[in-house]
Amino acid sequence: MFARTRVWSWRIVVLFVSALAIGSFESAGFGGQPAVAQSLSAALRRTSDGKPDLSGIWQAMNAAEWDLQDHAAAKGIPAGRGIVEGNQIPYRPEALLKKKENFKNRETADPVTKCFLPGVPRIMYQPYPFQIAQGPKQITILFEYVHAVRNIFMEGSHYPGQIDWWLGDSRGRWDGDTLVVDVVHFNDVTWFDRAGDFHSDALHVVERYTPTDLDHIQYEATIEDPNVFTGPWKVSMPLYRHKEKDAQLLEYECFAY
Amino acid sequence: MTRRSLGSTMRAATILLALAWASAPAAGQMARARTIAGCPPTAAAFHPCALEKAKAFNPPRTPDGHPDLQGLWEAPMASGLGNIEGRRAADDEYQTGSPTSLVVDPPAGVIPYQPWARTQRRENAAKYVDPYTHCLPISAPRIMASPRTRQIAMYSGHLTVVNESGGHPFRVIYLDGRPHLSADLKLWRGDARGHWEDKTLVVDTTNFNGLSWFGSGGDFFSDALHLTERLTMVDANTIDYAVTVDDPKVATRPWTIAFALERNQEKGYEQMEEGCFESDRDTADLLLTGFQMYAGPRFPK
Repeated sequence: MFARTRVWSWRIVVLFVSALAIGSFESAGFGGQPAVAQSLSAALRRTSDGKPDLSGIWQAMNAAEWDLQDHAAAKGIPAGRGIVEGNQIPYRPEALLKKKENFKNRETADPVTKCFLPGVPRIMYQPYPFQIAQGPKQITILFEYVHAVRNIFMEGSHYPGQIDWWLGDSRGRWDGDTLVVDVVHFNDVTWFDRAGDFHSDALHVVERYTPTDLDHIQYEATIEDPNVFTGPWKVSMPLYRHKEKDAQLLEYECFAY
Repeated sequence: MTRRSLGSTMRAATILLALAWASAPAAGQMARARTIAGCPPTAAAFHPCALEKAKAFNPPRTPDGHPDLQGLWEAPMASGLGNIEGRRAADDEYQTGSPTSLVVDPPAGVIPYQPWARTQRRENAAKYVDPYTHCLPISAPRIMASPRTRQIAMYSGHLTVVNESGGHPFRVIYLDGRPHLSADLKLWRGDARGHWEDKTLVVDTTNFNGLSWFGSGGDFFSDALHLTERLTMVDANTIDYAVTVDDPKVATRPWTIAFALERNQEKGYEQMEEGCFESDRDTADLLLTGFQMYAGPRFPK
């Protein structure tokens, strides 16, 4: 009994000391950020206007191109862990039937099998590199896949009216060290993956690009489409910097071959 | 109207406009009535005049001290390189292009094709589908010359050119001294390296696959193509663009064309998405009329 009480009191002391340590850690960064976050933040490369510099050649490393959700391997498709938070996509019942139909016909019905532009966020997790070229008013993303281009305008607002673009109308802003991109004006043609996950032209995507160190960006996209889903859902994944010497974009012109 | 169909409509309108222009007898006089940066808008007159003016111009600079070429640029003299040597009476009436030759060297304004290549250029226009018609990527110099804008943006160690029309082909031009890719790696848009010579950006591009055309008139090149482009600011809103084409498999000597890049000054102008392959892949009808797919230079045996 006594011995057990001593163990407990040791635990309490340890907890108390830990709490003190954390407290002092935080107070060291009072008025700013905690020390750990501060050193991380200092490690980011920054542009002359103080924003994180996302320039470089990046690529996702996952199997979401084939299926956003956890999936087993099949011919030509590696097994993969999904990038959907919670691994569930909240389809409306009738939309789920459509997704299953798409899945059955995926080898020919996926627009990417025709080399069409793949939409957002799919273009960010296709298995090809892309280059971020960052200016203060405009961030441009150049892709190897069919020389696609995304212009993210940091000024101005979405065009009014109904527009059906393959890659949407992207407007960016900074939320601390996170680039937030609001994308609307999609067509209803593109799919999220080879597995038939789809959307309507009411799709609204909000992307968050958070650099976590010099060579990684944590990418998140929140997806809303009331015609197809019962609520918003989210994908998240790291983007990795290409570190090869003299890395440069080459080409994958898809429909030229 | 959706933007996608607007893109197609604009493309059709551009063709109609070019047709109207081509068939207007006074087109030459109309073109001559306007000046660009105070210079006449024909290549032979513009290029020397512009380079002379550039000597006295102190261009705005980027933070690293180089002339600031950034912005959205149009190419009003180039007419998409539809006919580099200028339209001639003998040309098919549907052909578009500059009314006068863009060739400044040789001075006669004629591309020094090898004899077989001169014949093939004519055959290309008469019997083959311009690869750009079915959205295959274009590169320099055509991406510097096509309708609407191209955007130049400068970054540390490289610059980018993003073209508006034709499915937004782009170029990344490295200025950090890295070597060209291996000669075995052929690309639709080639491999570009740049450097500064005083106030002029010089871009050296190699590694072409030789499968596209300079313009819709059938002017073509091989995989031996080596381009040397020179971009010089003439005033705040004008660039003198000259490109020397060295292709020993096709021509008897290097040749040079020149035209102006003029700044698009429309406030708030943004390049909008233009899908190409997704909506305009209408080559089937052309093939039915007997046109053939272009598969590169047909070298004499």
